[in-house]
Amino acid sequence: MITTKELKHLAELSRIKLTETDKKSLVSEFDSILNYVNRLKKVKVSLDAGARVGAVRNITRSDDVINTNMKDRAQLLNEAPNREGDFIAVKKIIALE
Amino acid sequence: MNISNLTIQKAHDGLVKGEYTAAQLTQAYLDEIKKKNKDINAYLEVYEDALDAAESADEKIKAGKATLLTGIPCAIKDNILFKGKVASAASKILEKYHATYNATVISKLAREGVVFLGRTNMDEFAMGGSTENSAFGVTKNPHDLERVAGGSSGGSAAAVAMNGALFALGSDTGGSIRQPASFCGVVGLKPTYGAVSRSGLMAMGSSLDQIGPIGKTVADCEIVFNAIRGKDTKDGTTIGDDTYPKRRIGKIKTIIGVPKHFLKGDGIDKSVLANFNKSLDLFKGKGYEIKEIKLPNISYALMAYYIIMPAEVSSNMARFDGVKYGLHIGGKDGIDDYFETRRAGFGREVIRRILLGTYVLSSGYYDAYYNRANAVRRMITDDFLKAFEGVDIIATPTAPSPAFKIGEKTNDPVAMYLEDIFTVTANLTGLPAISIPCGFSKEGDKDLPIGLQLMARHGDEATLFEAGKEFLGEN
Repeated sequence: MITTKELKHLAELSRIKLTETDKKSLVSEFDSILNYVNRLKKVKVSLDAGARVGAVRNITRSDDVINTNMKDRAQLLNEAPNREGDFIAVKKIIALE
Repeated sequence: MNISNLTIQKAHDGLVKGEYTAAQLTQAYLDEIKKKNKDINAYLEVYEDALDAAESADEKIKAGKATLLTGIPCAIKDNILFKGKVASAASKILEKYHATYNATVISKLAREGVVFLGRTNMDEFAMGGSTENSAFGVTKNPHDLERVAGGSSGGSAAAVAMNGALFALGSDTGGSIRQPASFCGVVGLKPTYGAVSRSGLMAMGSSLDQIGPIGKTVADCEIVFNAIRGKDTKDGTTIGDDTYPKRRIGKIKTIIGVPKHFLKGDGIDKSVLANFNKSLDLFKGKGYEIKEIKLPNISYALMAYYIIMPAEVSSNMARFDGVKYGLHIGGKDGIDDYFETRRAGFGREVIRRILLGTYVLSSGYYDAYYNRANAVRRMITDDFLKAFEGVDIIATPTAPSPAFKIGEKTNDPVAMYLEDIFTVTANLTGLPAISIPCGFSKEGDKDLPIGLQLMARHGDEATLFEAGKEFLGEN
């Protein structure tokens, strides 16, 4: 039902490296899962009904800064795997093709 | 002190009467953990400062400022943030991550002087039904060490069952509090969606997730639920006391609805059905009315769930990029860092669900899967709301079988997913549901616990507590 090519595309969208063996087992697992959920296609539904989980509605608040604690800021930065001073370091993303 | 028959109320009485101190109580639990955890693996970490917290609780008690929960030792699932402590969600990608703030539930319990003993094992990011998906080893069932404790909150349920905590917090996206509670012979509550703040809970399926208590008695779960629930500005989906109408309990007979048509498949263990029917008789004997109900679309619930949940998972897991926090594995360039980090950090089931979620949300499949599943979700919710016009409770078994053997279902994802068949509906509909122990299944020389699931109207946890306490003879 799903091809290795499709799976490769999904893995690219998901930013996950897959090996050839991964792909093989995932294709068969996907088949059995999709086989199961595909039974939903038999249900008559009106697709514009939308979901509803109890009494949930949109709530807004004003866009104010409420936490400027320097200790919290330091702790947040401490969790970054790569840091340069007060910055989180990442690799250069502009390349010459 | 005998901790095996303690409840929160009894422990509280002992503390305020001065029969023991909170420090002694905490020490008794720490001793028990030391004895049992190496076999059961319920805890991933026991906090070194638990006794300090107990001493602060003792000061509060001495000052006459104790609440019911002051000095009560509890365990927390590893996906709930406790500031300064590691919170790993049992994943390699967060193995060394320290929470930078407290979850709302933690702040609320800390204010009451609860003693946090440690963090408990789980399926990685709460994805699974057996804790076999933990990156740090399976949690074993205290009733039979060859079997799973259930999941994903398996560590929390096992911690309570082995007397390693008086209560525990879990999270429930498709049954992750109720199924392990059923397997371990304890009580577990999945509150109404929005009753408890999700702020500081690592998101899995945001429209499905709820934090809830696991305890030895219904009364204990009620006490904890009342302490953690309530509106929170940090979670816009939280509800207030007046969001849903209240049902008057007492005078009028409580009616229990049973969807018999849904209990006929061969996937349900005989001992589970026998105990379920016995439980209904017990309720009848206590003056409850039992009524057969129809839930026309319920057989589609699990399929809809296994589309909606992975869709939400794939979005929520996008935040783990090896840049802001957690594991970082360097690749050949910036984008390759993501590929390497996520590959090394996520386990099989997490990867499977991210890919599946990406698939059902991708263009060309969105209407066929995600949109359709949402429409079915709405139909199922309407079915339940209609059924609740004629009944106050809907009863089913919690899980189709007692605890299964470790490794029995690891190679068949769909068999594992079928574990959730009775529990996912509460998450899809947002209804509250509780699992209470209702008997045992004899397997060789072991007695394996079985759970009974009761669901009620939105916001009506009170009816679940009332019925649960009567069922277990707690009143």
